[in-house]
Amino acid sequence: MLSRTIRRSILDSRIPTSALPPTFLLPNRARYFNSTVQHVDAPSESLDASLLATNTSAEAPETVAPVRRPIRPKVPLPPAPISSPMALDASVKEMLPLLAAQPSHYISAHIHAKPYLVTAGDTVRLPFHMPGVVPGDILRLNRASSLGSRDYTLKGTPYLDERVFECRARVMGTEAEPMRTKEKKKRRNRRINTVKSKHKFTILKIAEIKINSLEDIEGSGESV
Amino acid sequence: MSYFRITLTRSGIGMPKRTQGVLKALGLRHRMTTVFYPVTPEVAGQIMRVKELVTVQEVDKPLTKSEVRAERRPDPGFYLESAAPRG
Repeated sequence: MLSRTIRRSILDSRIPTSALPPTFLLPNRARYFNSTVQHVDAPSESLDASLLATNTSAEAPETVAPVRRPIRPKVPLPPAPISSPMALDASVKEMLPLLAAQPSHYISAHIHAKPYLVTAGDTVRLPFHMPGVVPGDILRLNRASSLGSRDYTLKGTPYLDERVFECRARVMGTEAEPMRTKEKKKRRNRRINTVKSKHKFTILKIAEIKINSLEDIEGSGESV
Repeated sequence: MSYFRITLTRSGIGMPKRTQGVLKALGLRHRMTTVFYPVTPEVAGQIMRVKELVTVQEVDKPLTKSEVRAERRPDPGFYLESAAPRG
């Protein structure tokens, strides 16, 4: 008897759902509602309650359009031609033909400030995956700190003028390292997290190292 | 109008509270942060308080944060000369 009255009192005390304000006007929801409205510049006059209620039930949909950024090319674009005439030292002018005359050359080319001492025909596995290149692409390496042959070396301060030489590399493809797994464990806890990693590396092959003749260098400097 | 280009090269850790406060007021929170301020007696006085910790340069116009970052980024050293046909 007593239990029945208690049950009835509970049933009566329960407020019918229609009497409650819609969920989007409840204090905790209303905050989200306001925060979404702030994005909109001019709220429309016909604020349909049912429509808003469905919106809030869908966890405050983001009305912000994705920000359009200027698309940055993944591969650096060719730099603008250097207009200033190249100031070559007299000793460089004297020795450069001798360097060019020798049969094979090496170059210390810098890619992202890391030096790679290479000669024509070398294969280089870069320590990173170069984005935006596919096998067959020809890259022009235009930053070098030294260039030499068996008997002569031209050193840059700290880099050589890029008009002195032409160095081209062909993208051969990518190489992947074997899968690495590392077990991460915290003390006093049984849980072990296994982290896997498998990186890709771009392979380059040095296609050409050419030393421009003095006439070419001076001619390009004057014409531009 | 010229500006001070102030870079914090030595940390303010271990300095008196007053000195650390000056660094904080200049917006120098950690080492190698760079801030730009117009050349005024007030800023000059602040620099004098922390002159042992910062390097100061006078520049014509202030750089944005991204420009300062771009200054430190090394040259890529390559560019795409001829692209293979992409599928």
